Amino acid sequence: MTTDAAAPAAKKRGKPAGGIHVGGLLGYAAIWAFMIVFLIYPLLHLFYDSFTTDAGDFTLANFQDFFTDRYYLKSLMNSLLLGVGTVITTSIIGITFAFLLLRYEFPGRGLFTYLSIVPMIMPPLVGVMGFVFILGRAGTVNILLMDYLGFEKPINFMYGIQGVLLVETLHLFPLMTLSIVDAMGKISPSLDEAAESVGSRGLRKFWDITFPLTTPGYVSGALLVFIWTFADFATPLVVGVDDLLASQAYLNIVQFVDRRLFKMGIVISAIMVILAILFLIIAKKYVAIKDYSSLSYSVIERKQIGPAAKAGVVVFLGVILILAFIPYLGIALDSFGKGWALTPFPVKYTFQYFERVAFETPKFIINSLLYAGISVLICIAVGVPLAWVNARTKLPGREALDSLTTLILALPGTGIGIAYMRAFREPLPYFDMAFIGMWIVIPVVLGVRRLPYTVRGTFASLQIVHKSFEEAAESVGATQMTTFKDVTLPLIWKGVLVGSLYSFILALQEASATLLLVVPGHEMMTVGIFNFYIGGSVNEAAALGLILIILGALCLFVINRVAGSKMGGVFG
Amino acid sequence: MMKRALMMFSVAAFAVLGAWSLSLAQAPAIENELYLITPVSKDVHDPMLKAFAAWAKKKYNVDVKTSAIPKGTPVAYGQILEWKGRPQADVFWGGEGTLFDNLAIEGLLEQVQLPKAMWDAIPASIGTPVPLPLKDPKKFWVGTTLEPYGIIYQPTLLKRLGVEIKTWEDLLNPKLKGQIAQCTPDRSSSSHASYEVILQTYGWDKGWEWLTKLAANTGIFTARSRDVPSVVAKGEFAVGFAVPSYMAFAEVLAGYDVKFVYPKNAYVTPEPMSVLKGAPHPKAGHAFIEFCLSEEGQLLLSGLGVYPITPGLKVKGPEGSNQEKAVAFTGGMRSFFETEIGNVYDDKIAGEKKRIEDVNAYFRKEIAEKHKEIVK
Repeated sequence: MTTDAAAPAAKKRGKPAGGIHVGGLLGYAAIWAFMIVFLIYPLLHLFYDSFTTDAGDFTLANFQDFFTDRYYLKSLMNSLLLGVGTVITTSIIGITFAFLLLRYEFPGRGLFTYLSIVPMIMPPLVGVMGFVFILGRAGTVNILLMDYLGFEKPINFMYGIQGVLLVETLHLFPLMTLSIVDAMGKISPSLDEAAESVGSRGLRKFWDITFPLTTPGYVSGALLVFIWTFADFATPLVVGVDDLLASQAYLNIVQFVDRRLFKMGIVISAIMVILAILFLIIAKKYVAIKDYSSLSYSVIERKQIGPAAKAGVVVFLGVILILAFIPYLGIALDSFGKGWALTPFPVKYTFQYFERVAFETPKFIINSLLYAGISVLICIAVGVPLAWVNARTKLPGREALDSLTTLILALPGTGIGIAYMRAFREPLPYFDMAFIGMWIVIPVVLGVRRLPYTVRGTFASLQIVHKSFEEAAESVGATQMTTFKDVTLPLIWKGVLVGSLYSFILALQEASATLLLVVPGHEMMTVGIFNFYIGGSVNEAAALGLILIILGALCLFVINRVAGSKMGGVFG
Repeated sequence: MMKRALMMFSVAAFAVLGAWSLSLAQAPAIENELYLITPVSKDVHDPMLKAFAAWAKKKYNVDVKTSAIPKGTPVAYGQILEWKGRPQADVFWGGEGTLFDNLAIEGLLEQVQLPKAMWDAIPASIGTPVPLPLKDPKKFWVGTTLEPYGIIYQPTLLKRLGVEIKTWEDLLNPKLKGQIAQCTPDRSSSSHASYEVILQTYGWDKGWEWLTKLAANTGIFTARSRDVPSVVAKGEFAVGFAVPSYMAFAEVLAGYDVKFVYPKNAYVTPEPMSVLKGAPHPKAGHAFIEFCLSEEGQLLLSGLGVYPITPGLKVKGPEGSNQEKAVAFTGGMRSFFETEIGNVYDDKIAGEKKRIEDVNAYFRKEIAEKHKEIVK
């Protein structure tokens, strides 16, 4: 990693557009080496495994098995439908949010802007647990309905595909809001004015100006929501839904007894990765770390609306946010409530679960912070130079790097976890131990998975710092070093910090790849939550979940203070 | 001068050497780490690991860092195969003897190293008409405790539904539609063993008919067997199928209101234990087995809702102790060796690899994939 860390400085001394020092080239090679070893090789290994028999002979039989199995096909279909369904529901909520927050003035707008991002802070498993506590068959709502309103039977909100859709929608709509806010923020008001001056107003203007310019942001937001839902296996498992592709991949891979099923788990993961690549190619026109460069975010003039409309907006946003905050309530209640069953709220309260997860075994929190911290260092060491190469050089292969970075965003975590499991299982030379047996595998896989956020944050900032700034500085005699120090750095550090913080939050919350890779004795919080949950200690899982949520909310608060709500671009 | 210095040096050297060899003689007899891979849930493995650490400190003066990899039996079994003799865990604990037998055949287990008296204190088998082995005659695994896989229910919900549960048959009551939680036999060995109990009681065809009716009443197939008592304790579902008694008891200790039924011929597991071949900390592993079978270990276990594996010990404690609560919870029994234990589960039939796969495949094709239609 040291060569990588030295790389940006070396490179930035080079000429911005062309001439690159040897040191810079070495750094560039190091980035490539990192991507090849930790991304390309494991994925190729996964494909190799899925196209060969256990003996290593080429075969298509595995895929034939998949595509002739009714149940797998049904799972594939369900996963696609669920993904599309979630895109539709999150679009409706997310776009409405974005428009209201950007275009209209109403009381509490600032607060709503912040709160609308918060639901994103929801570690896997924790969201669905929280929902079940409130909306389950014995959840608060159903108990109230049955005990006080005379309902005979509980309403089934959760157990089934509708429950998964509910959880994913209320968790992921902020991604959509962020993408749209970001895209709309980049539409220059002058364009709006120009359109209006030639008589294009209302719907016409929306169709001519707003729609085409927000499409890239929307498409990438939609792709993210789709892939996230597509790859989530924890949520469906809690509500008893097995016939989804991610659930099948997970269930098949973690049961090793039946070798055929195990192989099918690998094949399903490979299929998920292939599908993700396919979706990416389809959306490629719109999704890349590049975007439509503008010197700055435009200031959108907000419309004043009547009191009735104001009230309507506040009620709408309020209701959606209350729904989205249900899991927080559920988790908070269960992490303090002892023996909570069949009453609307816990009857007895205790602090013992926090004692157990935070003080008796502090390793979860320590490991989480340590690994997420290391992964962010990896993100910065690899991501910042990578973004710089893309923004400021014409080096061959940078397009491919851009595509790889975007690919990471689309890769299902389960897929990459299984790819690592297969690719790094042989003992390393000189170590007598496999890479997957060392704890460092966790920060590495986290670093790879969360790299795009740092890259995007940096890239977006470099775009805002238009080259003309640097050129202007140089034209008046500043050296390149001075230019970087006095012009570029002060302007991009926020972007790097915000991108890194997003990488950090999301690394803290990652579970799909790490759950498969965790090394005994080195469990992090997400793994702890999973282990407590499946070990029957639901309260402890909730307590750990609450701590993780609070950590995430703190990071988000910092991001908000540093960047306002303008950094949606890291997701787009 | 020189000579004296040399002499002093050699004296010092001998002193160091001597101290070193002395410390070698008393060198920690076991490693200072122990990793468990186990389907036995945290309720039991956590207190056992903690107590073991204290015991090892007393006996060997070693601070052992312990950790557990919680996995369902089939998963743990598969993971051990996948490790190919380079395991990341030392001890495999829990499930059924048959899987341990298979691992022994693959050469992935070490032989148990126990004092002879301890080994001999454990009966070879339990149950009639079919005897169920409690230890491996070839010494590759040893049972550690006894517990039945039975039925758990939430009394308030059951009362509301107007249902009583005493036997397996009561689970088929149409009033329980959508109220039963169970794990699948391919993910949970307690479920698998209980499916075998039904299949060996009624025969293959009739047995599956019975299990399909059970599926018709089933509201959820959970991801893991430990989820079953969790969702019942919470009141999400009224009844849980194939639940180890200690998991039900753990919910009681956690403050939930649940009851346990030990139906006729329910599978009784000896929770086998074994040290993995090539384990990173084999001595600590063997010490852990010894601890579990010591009187101290057995006594601790008896307060967690499971039963001693030796006929000499009974579950007994002062009034209000967990031991007494456990006895009351499982219906007044103090030892598995007091009464006749019914068993129809034949591990020669159920343990065969092909049979395991057949049961799982049948379940997957005919029940899991058709569950939505069966419920209708």
